[in-house]
Amino acid sequence: MEKADIPVVKRSLFSWVFAGNVKLQILLLLIIVVMVAARVLPLEMQKRIVNEAINLRNVDLLFLYSGIYLGAVVFFSVLKYLISIIQTLITQRTTARMRKSLYRHILTLPLSFFRNTQPGMVVNSLSAELTVPGNFAGMAVAAPVTNLLTLLAFAAYLFWLNPLLAAVSLSIYPIVIFLIPVLQKGVNRYNKKRVDAARKFSARIAEAISGIHEIQGNGAYRIENRKYDALVNRLLKIRIFWSLYRFGVKSANGFFTSLGPFLVFILGGWLTIKGQLELGALVAFLSAQERLFDPWKELIEFYQVYQDGKVTYNRTMEYYDFEPEYALEPKDRKPFELDGSVQVKDLSFVTETGIRLLDGINVSLQAGEHLALVGFSGSGKSTLALCIGQLYKYTGGHVLIGEQEVSDLTKKDMVNNIGIVAQNPFIFDGTIEENLLYSCMARVNGSGRDSEGLPTLDDIIAVLQQTGIFVDVLRFGMNTILAHDENKDLVNVIIRVRENFQRDFGEELADYVEFFDENKYLHYSSVAENLIFGTPNKNAFATANLCNNPYFLNFLKQADLTRPLLSLSAELARQTVDILGNLPPESVFFEQSPIGPDELEEFKLLVERLRRTKLHELSAEHHEQLLDLALRFVPGVHKMVALPAILENLILEARAMFRENIVKDDPEAITFYQVTEYIYSQTILNNIFFGKTKTANPQAQEKINQSIVQLLIAEDLLETIIEIGMHYQVGTKGDKLSGGQQQKLAIARIFLKRPRILIMDEATSALDNKSQTRIQNLLETRWKKKNTVISVVHRLDTIKNYDQVAVMKAGKILEIGTYDELIARKGMLYELVGKK
Amino acid sequence: MNSSEKNENNPSSELEENLEILRQTYFFSGLPLEALKVFAYLCTREKFKKDEYLFRQHEDDGRAFYIITGSASLEREDNGGAREIRDCNVGEFLGGLTLLGEVRRLFSLRATEDTICLVLEREKFTKALKQFPDIMPRIFKAVAKNIDSWEERFLADRADMCGECMENLGVSLI
Repeated sequence: MEKADIPVVKRSLFSWVFAGNVKLQILLLLIIVVMVAARVLPLEMQKRIVNEAINLRNVDLLFLYSGIYLGAVVFFSVLKYLISIIQTLITQRTTARMRKSLYRHILTLPLSFFRNTQPGMVVNSLSAELTVPGNFAGMAVAAPVTNLLTLLAFAAYLFWLNPLLAAVSLSIYPIVIFLIPVLQKGVNRYNKKRVDAARKFSARIAEAISGIHEIQGNGAYRIENRKYDALVNRLLKIRIFWSLYRFGVKSANGFFTSLGPFLVFILGGWLTIKGQLELGALVAFLSAQERLFDPWKELIEFYQVYQDGKVTYNRTMEYYDFEPEYALEPKDRKPFELDGSVQVKDLSFVTETGIRLLDGINVSLQAGEHLALVGFSGSGKSTLALCIGQLYKYTGGHVLIGEQEVSDLTKKDMVNNIGIVAQNPFIFDGTIEENLLYSCMARVNGSGRDSEGLPTLDDIIAVLQQTGIFVDVLRFGMNTILAHDENKDLVNVIIRVRENFQRDFGEELADYVEFFDENKYLHYSSVAENLIFGTPNKNAFATANLCNNPYFLNFLKQADLTRPLLSLSAELARQTVDILGNLPPESVFFEQSPIGPDELEEFKLLVERLRRTKLHELSAEHHEQLLDLALRFVPGVHKMVALPAILENLILEARAMFRENIVKDDPEAITFYQVTEYIYSQTILNNIFFGKTKTANPQAQEKINQSIVQLLIAEDLLETIIEIGMHYQVGTKGDKLSGGQQQKLAIARIFLKRPRILIMDEATSALDNKSQTRIQNLLETRWKKKNTVISVVHRLDTIKNYDQVAVMKAGKILEIGTYDELIARKGMLYELVGKK
Repeated sequence: MNSSEKNENNPSSELEENLEILRQTYFFSGLPLEALKVFAYLCTREKFKKDEYLFRQHEDDGRAFYIITGSASLEREDNGGAREIRDCNVGEFLGGLTLLGEVRRLFSLRATEDTICLVLEREKFTKALKQFPDIMPRIFKAVAKNIDSWEERFLADRADMCGECMENLGVSLI
């Protein structure tokens, strides 16, 4: 099994060969032994066929020997295939194991390591670089054993046939054995260079791509090309030399081994002519000798894979050969349950380049006390908080948590006792729920919602409310489109309350909601929705399929809509590409775009074509693409194009026409919007409204939320919606959430863990006043005297009730005490607060 | 309001109108068209009913406003009492500084009639700014110049009415 004690970066390449593969490797060995036997047999048969069957003109013997020959060949092929399968298994499993172990190690490396490492570099190491060593592990047993055994077997057979001939023809190999390593050294030298150059090359690409706006902004194509070309040229040169050496090995090997038959012809031919050797024996000898070549070649290839693998492997492991600053888990004890006291004594923190970020810091906190750190940015307040939280390794003095020195604690000890909300919290791709449970899950080592020790739904809802993200989650829930037959109860309630809701809130919300009205154009619905005005029950009428639904296309033609829609769409595509063409695929840019980030490239091409071609000359495919875009156009959202009044009227008329037609032709196809039916193509909120929200204005949202919450409470549906909302996908790096939402989510995930010591590093900077106040009140009422809080503060109006306030400047604490004491002292805090 | 109601007789899109507006504000007027289009695209229009607040004192709402129609009253609460500072009318742009960094409002802005504003949020502005890093200096210049000329005007027109406040002049010296 894998050795847990030796860090992955210290493991030798050979240690992977058997790690976790013992059974497979043994099985492999057994098969190889049998296979080698099956390999020599045909040679003997070959000799007997010539010497006995053909010479004696015995047909029975001919069939017998040929039969055995065939059997042996088939058997050999089957075994060979089996070996390949096992080798592949070992290779892939080992590569996967290396990747997992190395990744595990990389995640634990000190933060300083990552400041100097490009993400592209790590990607390259974990993907490309580890494949060669993986290949080696697959071959490490099979290749040398198979080929050595085969060589030995053939050599023995040769000696048995004719010792003199055998000795002469094998005399070449010692020369090869001497020569190859010499050449291989050259290969290795260039391989090392190649790995380094490839690394620089990847890092360069990664840097250029992430800085692409800079390059394009500056039109610095030539500069970047020069930098890149230089690296490519260097790589080219190295690769050529590398290949030359590699082929040198191959050619030298090929040349010397083909000298073998030459010697046999001369010597064997002479012996046969002299009658000292049977012709059959000479044939067998030649044939056996020829077969020496394959295992020998494979052996040399293996040798090369081994050398390459070793070089790449060592290079990769060396790069990551840093000790994690802290052990992950305690070995001979349970993780500490620390009390919440914090003692900082004469703490200093000096960077590698000698800059003193913290100097002579002394702070003492009883369990349950709250400390505010204030000062200008750069004063060291965040650094101090992060030193206490073990994210920075302090270089002098002490930090004691519950009497334990922080630098001696394991990560597990810290995680079990401390929670840190970072200045710029990171939200991971996944659902709200997964992000909420991130810290708790990490603490209990859980793998899913059902893991033991995780908070209950009630706990979660309480924290959602405390941090103020409740309304956001509620909105996500309300904006969910339910699948058919999902949440039947909810659906029934919504239909039931819809009319009451409209009666009670309709007027108040009329400014913010566009109600579905058969006789009005819906500016916040798509053209398709405006035409169909119902939920499609057949796939062919789903919005995405309309542009290739012949019935619908025919209808558009009859309604005189095809041309105007195409022309509208062309303008829409032009404008959208013009604005968004060079922007990254972040949701903030695409929220108001009819074209998604994945489609942008296609539409760029289309727009390019439109520049040169008239609309009616476009291909059918392009027409389809444009029509699809037109049908998605929502004038109230996609502001780059205005919907002409004439077209609006045409569409409105077409709506009635479509209804008339489809009721006649295919009455099952569409369920028209009506107050008595749930609309499955619309969100829950739109279903309650029987309309669509017009605005994202916060005040409007708040009014909508208030009325919706009232309704949900009355109908006992709040929890259901919150649960649905927690399945909202937040996008890569949480980019579908606003900065405030991200911060609230980050606070919520730590609150949910309820750590003994809470470190907040400007954790509420992106929040609105209300949320900040709410969280501050919560800390004061629910956390004080129970949980220790260290808060790096960016707003001075929140610090009055902290037990201690420390004012920092240039890495030192200038003054520390209660708010009132410091104000009375008329020192630095007094100045900062701006009292006159 | 929505685009088609407004565009009944005018085929220009809301985006084009936004663009025209931004080009008239000191904050955006010096920017290249490519960036300006993106900002115009990221703006939204919001309607405030009479007596609704566009923003409130002490809050960091992180939004800049341009009044398209209607009017609003700038107010400040001091020692318990609210004071009207002045009226803000059509064409006024408020909140350039809020786009640049976290600042809490020193005033409240209340709609005195139904008002429609063009609104740009700091978060969107910041994300877009990352795509056009070279325009940052232009914005800084515009803001610095605006502060300077504001104080210059103030000194020219009102300095003699200042009395005790005199010693607090010099915002352009920050």
